Amino acid sequence: MRLSTVLAAGILLLALLAAAWLQYRQTTPVALTPTLTGKVEYCLTCHKDLEEISPSHPVESFGCVSCHGGERLALNADLAHSTMRGGANPSDLSVVEASCGGANCHSGNAQDNRDHIQRVLTSVQTTYAGAIAQIRYSFGAQPDLTARYGTESVQAYQKTDPKALPSLLKFDPVQESSPYIIAFAANCLNCHLQSEPLPGTLYNRFTGCAACHTTTAGKDPEQSIHQLTTAISYAQCNTCHNRGNYNLAGMQFEPRTDQPTDRLHDYYQPIAQLTRCEWTLDCADCHTRHEAMGDGNLYSSKADIRYVQCRTCHGTQDELPLTRTIQRSDDLALRMAFLNPVIDLKEGDTILVTDKGEPLWNIRPLPDGTYELFGKANGQRFTFRPVKGSTCQQKPDQQESRYCHECHAIER
Amino acid sequence: MSAMPSNAEPKDSLEDRSVVRISRASFLSLAGKSLLALCGLLGLRGLVEFMSFQPDPAPPTQFDLGDASSYPPGSRTLISEARAVVLHGEAGFTALSLICPHLGCTVALAPEGYACPCHGSRFKPDGSEQNGPAIQPMNTLRIEETSNGQLILHTGS
Repeated sequence: MRLSTVLAAGILLLALLAAAWLQYRQTTPVALTPTLTGKVEYCLTCHKDLEEISPSHPVESFGCVSCHGGERLALNADLAHSTMRGGANPSDLSVVEASCGGANCHSGNAQDNRDHIQRVLTSVQTTYAGAIAQIRYSFGAQPDLTARYGTESVQAYQKTDPKALPSLLKFDPVQESSPYIIAFAANCLNCHLQSEPLPGTLYNRFTGCAACHTTTAGKDPEQSIHQLTTAISYAQCNTCHNRGNYNLAGMQFEPRTDQPTDRLHDYYQPIAQLTRCEWTLDCADCHTRHEAMGDGNLYSSKADIRYVQCRTCHGTQDELPLTRTIQRSDDLALRMAFLNPVIDLKEGDTILVTDKGEPLWNIRPLPDGTYELFGKANGQRFTFRPVKGSTCQQKPDQQESRYCHECHAIER
Repeated sequence: MSAMPSNAEPKDSLEDRSVVRISRASFLSLAGKSLLALCGLLGLRGLVEFMSFQPDPAPPTQFDLGDASSYPPGSRTLISEARAVVLHGEAGFTALSLICPHLGCTVALAPEGYACPCHGSRFKPDGSEQNGPAIQPMNTLRIEETSNGQLILHTGS
């Protein structure tokens, strides 16, 4: 037998041994067949210890691939992750329709209030249209405060408000001549749903839906968090809304440097006036889903969408706050209370509603004429009184919250 | 000069008897055949493993529920392993899948029907939808009573 034959046999043997070794080392796959897809996926081979993301998205039903994408049968991490949507965050707005969309889930079904994605994509939290318009107007690039540009070009999802715009163009600083506007684009576009947060635990948030619905505030940005919640605390809102001030002269963001130890002082505007409920409740306890996530209209400013005032819950000297009795088992209020069960709500219960008809499902009147509110973030119960029947001397034409602050703000 | 005895063998010749001398060609032939034999054995082992591979068994789609008399008229019995419920009504036995037609969660039995723990859909006792987000009734499953009085539930399509 020739030497070359022996060498070939040796190489063949080594190759077979290597194949056997690789086979021996291969991970035994952990299979899951979600009821939603009926297709086996092996993601749990490595991720079986991951916490359930929410009670509404059990892994047995949804699996992983429905939301995250990825190669469901791959046992190699790089290959398995190669086609994931949005990296670790499938709710990033660039991929959210594929991850979270669908008429049964979160898009396109306005009648059933399942058009979250369309509303968010057109909300001021995403377009940042108000800030862009304000800066462009301030530095002479446009003649008024009507928004022309957003962080991305976008069409209105609906146009039910007279103030709403049909569309926005993508803000492009290259087209701007003012150095201030260019600096604004470079330094100040850090606080919308498509932007990465500034470094630091207090600013720590994801992009997209998870910016609000994943509790990241105060946590290490490197920490893996697999969670979605509707119990959103003020700390999560503060990752954008309580971070510091923008210096318009230098067009720089200046983070706050103090370290407040209580809620009353944990607000960055030193001149802000706060009433008790504004520093004891969470933002989401009063502000509605349309205020936070948009109503499908494109607005020029957050002032066009933010409408809840003190009177929404407290009424006026002449009128009690608006209420509505739940008469149908598929009422939106019941769904909200089901997803965040801080209140035992049922058909026949009366709840408060806003003047646009949005349910304040966590607030209801009591037989003694007062009201109870359950905190959405922690379930804490508060009671409060209406203005009607009190000694309040507020003028009928001064019903906005700023007038309430004149008497009820607390010294900070 | 003395002559060496005729029956005496050289010392190195005695030692050579314990060593098998093999030619280079024979050694290469033996080594090659051995390596090929090992390759064959390894390959054979792989082939046997391949041929004897047993995939994970498919989930069962047929459930023997035992004696039909165990399900009295008017009863509603949870069959957890089948994610189904067996109803014994006036028209006989019927079965409903507990997999929610909305997004596939397992529906729970409630006093007034069924309730989905994921998204709050509710169904009436007969499986028809009561409120969303589900817009379809619970799926019915095939159930049969054999000639010897046994109930067989089929969960496959």
